[in-house]
Amino acid sequence: MRPPTNQRNQRRTRRERDNQTPRKKRTCRFCDAKEVYIDYKDEKRLGRFVTEQGKIIPKRITGTCARHQRQLVQAIKRARHLALLPFVSDSIR
Amino acid sequence: MDSAKRLYETTFIVNASLDDPQVDAVITRVQDTITKNGGSIASVNKWGRKRLSYPINKKTNGFYVNLEFEAPGTLLAPLERSFQLDELVLRHLTILLDHRAIKARAAAAARAAAAPAEPAPPVTTREPLFKEPEEEPKA
Repeated sequence: MRPPTNQRNQRRTRRERDNQTPRKKRTCRFCDAKEVYIDYKDEKRLGRFVTEQGKIIPKRITGTCARHQRQLVQAIKRARHLALLPFVSDSIR
Repeated sequence: MDSAKRLYETTFIVNASLDDPQVDAVITRVQDTITKNGGSIASVNKWGRKRLSYPINKKTNGFYVNLEFEAPGTLLAPLERSFQLDELVLRHLTILLDHRAIKARAAAAARAAAAPAEPAPPVTTREPLFKEPEEEPKA
């Protein structure tokens, strides 16, 4: 059902207000740290880019840039192969 | 191009239920295969016994060893084969160190070299928001 006209107007004003306060821009943590190489041996660091289940967190959540995300994915997969990181976490299995 | 040597890094997991001398024997065997096939070892890092994130061959612990070596590409096939035949090696991973990795490695080495020369930067602890009331001397 279509909302009454006055409510529709209210909704638009709210959207306008939201646009005035944009969400804080996330920056790539690896770019900030001027990182050249993401090492698969650094399991503690990689663990931060993995969910509790063990899934890789997408870059739209973490704010990692495309270049570093590619390197990160490579590193996480290598770490998984060497059992430094889980494929699926224990709590799920 | 067979003669061109490149820098590789290999990490492997040895069965941790072995005694230390037996583990060392496995490591020297790997080093021998590298040197015999025209490679030269750059560094050996034993990370020691670690818990595996998931069981491999029904084992939950492994002895991690990380080797860096310079070698021609022809070395890799025999090395991989020796790893596969070795029942004491649970897992192995050999990667080529690309220019980025070499850069990062050089930077880490430079940092390590600089660290002993100058004292470590003082650890800055943030002032606690609430100061614990100091213990009053009891009379």
